[in-house]
Amino acid sequence: MINYLLICDLNFTIDKDFSKFEGEGRPLYLDAQATTPVDPRVLDAMLPYMTNYYGNPHSRTHSYGWESEKAVEVAREQVAKLINADPKEIIFTSGATESNNIAIKGVARFYKMKKNHIITTQTEHKCVLDSCRVLEGEGFEVTYLPVLPSGLIDLNSLQNAIRPTTVLVSIMSVNNEIGVKQPLAEIGAMCRKAKVFFHCDAAQAVGKIPIDVESMSIDLMSISGHKVYGPKGVGALYVRRRPRVRIEALQSGGGQERGIRSGTVPTPLTVGIGAACEIAQQELKYDHARISKLSQRLIDQISHSLTHVIRNGDPEHSYPGCVNLSFAYVEGESLLMALKDVALSSGSACTSASLEPSYVLRAIGAEEDLAHSSIRFGIGRFTTEAEVDYTAQKCIHQVTKLREMSPLWEMVQEGIDLKSIKWTQH
Amino acid sequence: MISVTFVNRDGDSMKVKAKVGDTFLDAAINNDVDLEGFGACEGTLSCSTCHIIFKKEDFDKLPDKPSDEEMDMLDLAYGLCDTSRLGCQITLTESMDGIVVTVPAQVADARNR
Repeated sequence: MINYLLICDLNFTIDKDFSKFEGEGRPLYLDAQATTPVDPRVLDAMLPYMTNYYGNPHSRTHSYGWESEKAVEVAREQVAKLINADPKEIIFTSGATESNNIAIKGVARFYKMKKNHIITTQTEHKCVLDSCRVLEGEGFEVTYLPVLPSGLIDLNSLQNAIRPTTVLVSIMSVNNEIGVKQPLAEIGAMCRKAKVFFHCDAAQAVGKIPIDVESMSIDLMSISGHKVYGPKGVGALYVRRRPRVRIEALQSGGGQERGIRSGTVPTPLTVGIGAACEIAQQELKYDHARISKLSQRLIDQISHSLTHVIRNGDPEHSYPGCVNLSFAYVEGESLLMALKDVALSSGSACTSASLEPSYVLRAIGAEEDLAHSSIRFGIGRFTTEAEVDYTAQKCIHQVTKLREMSPLWEMVQEGIDLKSIKWTQH
Repeated sequence: MISVTFVNRDGDSMKVKAKVGDTFLDAAINNDVDLEGFGACEGTLSCSTCHIIFKKEDFDKLPDKPSDEEMDMLDLAYGLCDTSRLGCQITLTESMDGIVVTVPAQVADARNR
């Protein structure tokens, strides 16, 4: 399929400059947390709605509208089933960022007369943290809970942070940088008891680990299409109906999606996320087992041949498809450049443009230099064993080479304690 | 017969007599209360035009909690607050004699502006 896309003239060609590497073809893709390829089965489901069935699902008066609406409702059901929700509780959005914005700002603003406190963690996605920051500007108080070095939150500090004026707790399920899984059921139970709404950013978790909004007492949940082998530009927000969560809408208009998100629902994209969720539900167990094996294979190979490798995030309470490793005495960017035929990232894509090291790594207490040396390996449904082996071997090779060039590494090999050195300025 | 007062958007009070067992919507319609667009769907839970706001103490005494369907329509109403209900879903009882309800300031129908 990839060869076909390169050959056919689509008014653009993949610039050879972007892919300077040894062989033919393109880099191996191991950045599953940044995005995932569209599953061919999802594309199959979407295509008719891009070509023939182009009606607006809100057109009430003709069959173009009816067939389009039917497709949207089928997709809604598919998304709902994956998380054990009722289809009426699913709102389609443009992505998890929009869902997070609606959930946090919408709930906070609706209940602001009575409650004005929000709790979240220091390792949330930027859109959650930024939404909270905006609300602080509107007079809300926000508690940003620290995390333990494992990346998990301390349930006691959450309990202590909850006040009578707390309206919302927002804690993500699987962290996009270090893969750590928060204890959703315990958090949900705590929030239910305190009568506080529990919002979960599950963009990296949905379709990869079992999520059940009932057993986990989740009141709002954000879902991303392109993290679960669906198209980019679509997401969903789960909003509980019983007990009812009320939201002040961010986007005004014709009242679509229960008045929470006005705007024409994009049928092809919605069909895509629906199909992606259905496939994910069917293949969740198999994918998880396969990805766990590949993840272990990667880690074993690397740790077998390299020393001074630190795994960021609790290895047990983690999603195996996200492995974040710090290679001491190697600079992260140079390692990424050295591994140019593998598509990887250090830190999250949304903050990769900034010079600061990842705030998530800072939150788990990673030392500054280790934070700069971190690489995130993302393993997905289409990652092969050969790709994992190649990546591991290349990584070992390049890390070794870079370390050989490093005076710090030399000193460590000689047994010098780097912390005892007094560095001088020139 | 009991008396029910509707306070409209301009602050005018309209006191009417209504039968026990009728809904607030019936009370408004039967007495020709001057409320534009009130009860457009005639009580079939397909709109939010009979949206009324109770005082807290009256709201707490209402016998039934709103159904999911009523909540869905109420979510789309302008000026929604904690003591909002749809008038077509609440049946008048003896204890509601003298009750005062407010009709919210804005409506979704922009024709009058």
